Amino acid sequence: MVQDKTWGSRLFDIFNYILLTVVALVTILPFIHVIAGSFATVKEVTQKSFLLIPTEFTLDAYRYIFSTDTILRSLFVSIGITIIGTLFSMFLTTMMAYGLSRRDLDGRRVIMFMVVFTMLFNGGMIPTFLVVKAMGLIDSYMALILPTAINAFNLIIMRNFFQNLPAGLEEAAKIDGCNDIGILFRIVLPLSKPVLATISLFYAVTYWNTYMNAILYLNDPTKWPIQVVLRQIVILASGMSVDGAAFDPDFVAPPEQTVKMAVIVVATVPVLLVYPFLQKYFAKGALLGSIKD
Amino acid sequence: MKSQTAIDQQTVIKRKMRSELWKRIDRNKLLYLMILPGLIYFLIFKYAPMWGLVIAFQDYQPYLGVMGSEWVGLEHFRTLFSDPWFWTIFKNTLLLFLFNLLFFFPIPIILALMLNEVRLQFFKRTVQTMVYIPHFMSWVIIVSISFVMLTKDGGIINDLIAMLGFEKINFLLSSEWFRPMYILQVIWREAGWGTIIYLAAIAAVDPQLYEAARMDGAGRFRQIWHITLPAIRSVIVILLILKIGDILELGFEHVYLLLNPMNRDVAEIFDTFVYTTGLQQGNYSYSAAVGFFKSIIGLILVVLANRLAKKFGEEGVY
Amino acid sequence: MNKRVLAIVAAFSLALTSVSSGCGREEAALQKEGGKAPFTFRMMVNQQSPVTPDPWIEELLEERTNTDIRIQWVPDGSYNEKLFTAMTTDTLPEAVFMKNQATYELLKDAIRGGQFWEIGPYLDEYEHLRNLNPEVLQNTSVDGKIYGLYQERPLSRQGIIYRKDWADNLGLSAPTTTDDLYQMLKQFTINDPDQNGVHDTFGLSDRNDLVYGAFKTVSSYFGTPNNWGEIDGRLLPEFMHPSYIDTMEFFRKLHREGFINQDFPVTSKKEQMKRFVSGKAGVYIGAMGDVAFLYDDAVKTNPDVELDVQNRIKGPTGDLGIWAIPGYGTVILFPKSSVTTEAELKKILAFFDQLMAPEHANLLQYGMEGIHFHRVEGKANPVEDRALLNREVRPYTGMLVGGPETTDMLEAHYTLDVKVKAEEWIKDNHNFIIHDPTAPLDSDTDAEHGVRLREIITDATYQYILGEIDQVGFDKAVERWKKEGGNKIIAEYNEAYQQSK
Repeated sequence: MVQDKTWGSRLFDIFNYILLTVVALVTILPFIHVIAGSFATVKEVTQKSFLLIPTEFTLDAYRYIFSTDTILRSLFVSIGITIIGTLFSMFLTTMMAYGLSRRDLDGRRVIMFMVVFTMLFNGGMIPTFLVVKAMGLIDSYMALILPTAINAFNLIIMRNFFQNLPAGLEEAAKIDGCNDIGILFRIVLPLSKPVLATISLFYAVTYWNTYMNAILYLNDPTKWPIQVVLRQIVILASGMSVDGAAFDPDFVAPPEQTVKMAVIVVATVPVLLVYPFLQKYFAKGALLGSIKD
Repeated sequence: MKSQTAIDQQTVIKRKMRSELWKRIDRNKLLYLMILPGLIYFLIFKYAPMWGLVIAFQDYQPYLGVMGSEWVGLEHFRTLFSDPWFWTIFKNTLLLFLFNLLFFFPIPIILALMLNEVRLQFFKRTVQTMVYIPHFMSWVIIVSISFVMLTKDGGIINDLIAMLGFEKINFLLSSEWFRPMYILQVIWREAGWGTIIYLAAIAAVDPQLYEAARMDGAGRFRQIWHITLPAIRSVIVILLILKIGDILELGFEHVYLLLNPMNRDVAEIFDTFVYTTGLQQGNYSYSAAVGFFKSIIGLILVVLANRLAKKFGEEGVY
Repeated sequence: MNKRVLAIVAAFSLALTSVSSGCGREEAALQKEGGKAPFTFRMMVNQQSPVTPDPWIEELLEERTNTDIRIQWVPDGSYNEKLFTAMTTDTLPEAVFMKNQATYELLKDAIRGGQFWEIGPYLDEYEHLRNLNPEVLQNTSVDGKIYGLYQERPLSRQGIIYRKDWADNLGLSAPTTTDDLYQMLKQFTINDPDQNGVHDTFGLSDRNDLVYGAFKTVSSYFGTPNNWGEIDGRLLPEFMHPSYIDTMEFFRKLHREGFINQDFPVTSKKEQMKRFVSGKAGVYIGAMGDVAFLYDDAVKTNPDVELDVQNRIKGPTGDLGIWAIPGYGTVILFPKSSVTTEAELKKILAFFDQLMAPEHANLLQYGMEGIHFHRVEGKANPVEDRALLNREVRPYTGMLVGGPETTDMLEAHYTLDVKVKAEEWIKDNHNFIIHDPTAPLDSDTDAEHGVRLREIITDATYQYILGEIDQVGFDKAVERWKKEGGNKIIAEYNEAYQQSK
């Protein structure tokens, strides 16, 4: 690739690099604080108001949270739900988005409006619960996947990307004898890697963050995903709940701050790893390559 | 009175159109088949529960259920509109939304454009990953960390201000600092996350376009302006329309955590108001009515925004 | 390790394919018991511990009582959503724990609507349930009828915890009047109590809570009634009593002079405790039992730290007083939708009756002797392993019926002297308790709009303390409270009050 050598372009680069570095450092601060706290001693966390580098390194907090199966078990539950849920959602969303992206399809505006409408109006927790119950999904992991299988926002975004693909490709494929499913899988999807990666990431994060549905639909706590455990610990340890009710310290000892930090780290790192893995699909020219294939 | 031939002609045209429609539908039956599972999903999990909306027009009692609860018509809406706080809350919600639109919405776009100009892949990926991390910190964490930093009782920032010889600033317990604090926290948590969608759109740009532009002597800014921005324009429009529909959704948990007696005059929004007037007292109908009101406003704005977008030749969301 | 992973993956895919995995458990339960089938029922319990429990205490309890209980643990933070969803969709289990008194208030309409069993008439039939305190039961009653079993809470744990070492350094003795308290807070701020030569301490560490923080407790010292009190034979809310204004004035002075953390209206409990244990503040007013945790943490930063507890603070009137809660923490209800016959209800009550037997109460409160606690001088002394207790015992503490006052369970043994002292002070509080006269009374307006109206007063109280408004401004807020529904609340409570006399 030819590089710009002009004076203005260099100045632009310098400025850009510096600014991005600063932005990255500032945004990462809270996370560093959390990681530092998870490896620090209780003494240090108590004394310092904003800890970034622990002077004394300890694994006590991690030892504590892994002293029971609960966290490990819920991590596996979350990983399972995230993988299966994302695959399932991607399948449904891609099919629907592609169908709706074709301009020659009658009724597509009506259907799209129906989709948008659900973003603004929803019947609420209880009617949805009744649907889930009627389908016999209570206490089943499917209750965490089916009711959120398609996200209207993701569907709209994906349809928009499909729409922006050059229309000529489809015509050419049709002449070659491809049917609509063939076009989707052989032509459209290979050209849509960036948006597929993006929407997969969005779904994965949503499934990873599953919380309320787990509480409503799963009565068996051994099936809870990690967020339920995480929130319980964060709320108990922060003494800062939206509910405002006071916890009773005579009743239950609040978990240590270090433990809270460690649980946050354990519950966040797996999902953080998804993005770097997907980043190669965001590289420029990725599409060009696939067209040449 | 129309002549017989004209009527015949019309019938013929109609019949023709209908048969063409059938032809098109028949030709596209595979496409309909692909849409069908998704459509069924929306019908079962989104439309079937919609009857829950009626509790906005009832005096809903959980133990009586929707069938047994008393109908009250528009009473909850009257209560809402006649509440002395209504206009304050409306104003607060609107202003917070405008702040959001003006100061938050463009930032992911700018950040994505900046990232796109980075040539070092390693640097680019590292920064990308770092800025998206805060999205995974819950509001409880973000808010408590900012409280620790901003408090007058030994917070780093106020200590620094004092060290420089200025008077400490009452960030947490004042009306004037609430909105900047809110918006900065939103930027902090969501800006990096917001770039992802734009980066995906930018990835679709053919690099040869840039080469050509450089040959023509276009500088960096002109390349951004004439190649990158147009490439992501339709995504920006879509996100803007959807954002406008979310005008009254500002993140209940976030605002609730920031809200206190000293900033309530600017920080009380619909969601927090509903929480104390409705949910905490078990007035489900009232909160449903407020929710309904919010949805109607959102719907009107989405329809208007979509129409406007179409006028300018964009695809819009439907 | 690998086996475990495999097992989890297998279990996961199994559960995913089966429509409802609840069936699997039922079969297992049937196979287990060859002879007399155990009595099976479900209950919904508030999970207040960090993680869900390892179930072996539950299994032990099932074996001893020949029952098969299915506990639906619900995280504290989302208890109400789950409870109300279950109620509306007819999926409540046979026994339902309330989250707290506020949740119980929200259910009173449903109770009046006949959704729950009235259990008052049955209690005398049971060996242990009959020991429940009639006064506390009365506080839980709806229209004079008793619908729920209750879990005991000490009436009042409020008092002062302070840095004894700082007080000694400055030659201060334990405060006995509000003036002493003020002096202590002042000296702790201006006189370098930790003697490090730097002006880096202050008096009172408080938080964003007017009730369980310092404010309400100090208001008791000033003679303020507990939520409601009589003036000339009429019940009026606490903030219409002059002593409430005195308390606000006291805090306003503390705030102006810097003897209290400046941002206390937004300080979380965690930050409040942190300021105290890290040696920034010297006084903590709240539950005296907190002293054990505070000491644990404080000693980690400063091994020489000494804490003390104190109460019996006299205000300007010279009277003693301390506000109290109605004596229960939560209530257990039995829905008619799931408990369909009287016979079933009696069986369930029999189970809860057994829970009050000393050996079971001990099991729920302290765990297994020899594993979770040891007997020291006839009292239960928990083992040091907090992680073990948190995952095996603590969650079940939320299932207790009654408590130390109503069962013959073991008393707790504390190794920390100041904790022992705190427990003594808590008992001493009973001698001058201030009850809330409206606890057994009902007001429709209060139930419907009370929370929002209360917000007007809470806001005005903070604004007064921070110097944003004065007496005139506060009076205006009270007028607003009255106009928007307060007058009705006053009338309704007074009517109910007259009737109950």
